[in-house]
Amino acid sequence: METLGFLMDGFGVALQPHNLMFALIGAFLGTLIGALPGLGPANGVAILIPLAFTLGLAPETAMIMLTSVYAGAMYGGRISSILLNIPGDEPAMMTCLDGYPMAQQGKASEALAISAVASFIGSLIATIGLILLAPLLADFALTFGPAEYFALFLLAFATLGGITGKNPMKTVVAAAIGLMIATVGIDNTGVQRYTFGVLELYEGVDFIIAIVGLFAISELLFFIEEKAGGGKEKMAVNKLTLKWKDIRNILPSSIRGGVLGFIAGVLPGAGASLGSFIGYTLEKKVIGKKGFFGQGDPRGVAGPEAGNNGASSGALVPMLTLGVPGSGTTAVLLALLISLNITPGPLMFTQNADIVWGVIAALLIGNFLLLILNIPLVGIFVKLLSVPPMYLLPVVTMIAFVGIYSISNTTFDLYFMVAFGVGGYVLRKLEIPLVPVILGLLLGPEMEKNLRHAMDIADGDWTILWDSGLAIGLWVFAGLGLILPYIVGPLLRRRMKVTTGTGGPEGD
Amino acid sequence: MTFNDRIFGILMIVLAVAYGWGTTQFNEPFGGTEAVGPETFPRLLAAVLALSSLYMIVRPDPDNAWPWSRTGIELIVAVVVLIFYAALLQPLGFIISTTLAVGTLCWRMGSRPVKAYVTGAVSGVVVYLLFNFALDLALPLGLLSFLEVS
Repeated sequence: METLGFLMDGFGVALQPHNLMFALIGAFLGTLIGALPGLGPANGVAILIPLAFTLGLAPETAMIMLTSVYAGAMYGGRISSILLNIPGDEPAMMTCLDGYPMAQQGKASEALAISAVASFIGSLIATIGLILLAPLLADFALTFGPAEYFALFLLAFATLGGITGKNPMKTVVAAAIGLMIATVGIDNTGVQRYTFGVLELYEGVDFIIAIVGLFAISELLFFIEEKAGGGKEKMAVNKLTLKWKDIRNILPSSIRGGVLGFIAGVLPGAGASLGSFIGYTLEKKVIGKKGFFGQGDPRGVAGPEAGNNGASSGALVPMLTLGVPGSGTTAVLLALLISLNITPGPLMFTQNADIVWGVIAALLIGNFLLLILNIPLVGIFVKLLSVPPMYLLPVVTMIAFVGIYSISNTTFDLYFMVAFGVGGYVLRKLEIPLVPVILGLLLGPEMEKNLRHAMDIADGDWTILWDSGLAIGLWVFAGLGLILPYIVGPLLRRRMKVTTGTGGPEGD
Repeated sequence: MTFNDRIFGILMIVLAVAYGWGTTQFNEPFGGTEAVGPETFPRLLAAVLALSSLYMIVRPDPDNAWPWSRTGIELIVAVVVLIFYAALLQPLGFIISTTLAVGTLCWRMGSRPVKAYVTGAVSGVVVYLLFNFALDLALPLGLLSFLEVS
């Protein structure tokens, strides 16, 4: 078992005291970020990236910390779903359905504990899946040529909206905008493109500035518009009386949810929200009349929660093996990898084996840390929930400013960030998704490089782009990714709407 | 009402055309042209953006309301505060500019002025101390530089 050896090396990396400490800090901060209203996981990870830089962390430490933040944010999201009936992000929507009724019946702490256990099981299953699947996929990806990569990037954009996405054309617009921003600067033949003689633009637009601006600043503007500064009333949390029997009751639901979630996370275009949705509907089907779903059935909390966490670990598979993220938060993690000068993709598994396996081992360890953190410390997180956004968001904005400023010590970057924030606000108003913009920024240079390679090999013959069976397959899936939302999308969306009774916020 | 998507679509087509035209202005790369020059990929993008924007004009989604009147002004105030924050960070120093910026934002979001500026000041001082002493990163002191301990 080669994999096992690598995993042991990974544990060697992840268990070093300072890495373990940063994993713990990350897990704590992540839960906090997930729990706080107005700070989605992608947003939170984005704000922390500049800090990871300025701390001068080693690549594996930075990656371990932010992966823990990612995992923690998925845990934290459930706290506001259960206590306030506000999902932190779209995948958490399903947890509201039975979690909030449980809290209303005075079983808030049971709901929180059950969801923590379910999250743990879901992530554990998905992490094991990741360990088994990732090396296989990485080996397979080694057979990809530049033409296949080009098609793969297209596939990533096409499926980013997910089959439940509203308007795939807007995803295309967003992706084009992102890719255009990525072409600014000196290209790899030394030609200046769209720099307008501005010195700061020669190196291109730093995507970290763009990400922080698009997420953090636009979020602040949205809160101001909705006048949501006051925050919501706090739900009282009772004393925990969880018996072993209760945990045993939810085990099957959690395992089913975790497996389903993992599959949904790995597949392009499905994503965590579909994972938790399927997790919930499956539970309803399997348990049938014996359950009391929608009125506080613990299994209705466990299923989607395991699904959602499974999907978020599953989403790491395409990100690590192919360098193609499937969600906003994994895109932000990809940004970190690129800025650490690590090229994600199959080669990473051989060239940076210590980082990859360190991160995977850290995910496993992080899960245990999170479970331990979450059950006794839930009271602290609940208290923090009552911090009103009118104090929270300005302070978060300030941290974003400090982070960006400390990268380069110039005010130019800060203006740029504010400009991206205003742009992000306008795009969100028009319901143009931001994640494709960011993915375009990240993948633009790689995409162009692969196009050039492919064309150079074929001596300018465009047909090379769909010359192999694999490439054709990728093109077909990319096409389906754009067409299916028109056919299946309305149906699925209506079903999700019927189940939840709400439209829900924008995705992760 | 379906103005938003149409107007945005038109703006994006203008951008696509300008961006596409920009490709004709590139210098010849050193060593002559290849199969794919610096202009090929941008031209593809311009075409994609133009086509997808055209779709937005032809089949627009219903509008989200824009916040005119008071809320709109609040938004502009917030953006102006952020721009001033960026501009004043170095001259005034981190602590003072943070107090002003975070304080104003908290106040405009509905907190009482005194509480708002106290939040700003406390967060500014805490982050300053954290960065300067725990993380060893110098943030500008600006007007408060007389406090500097050498």
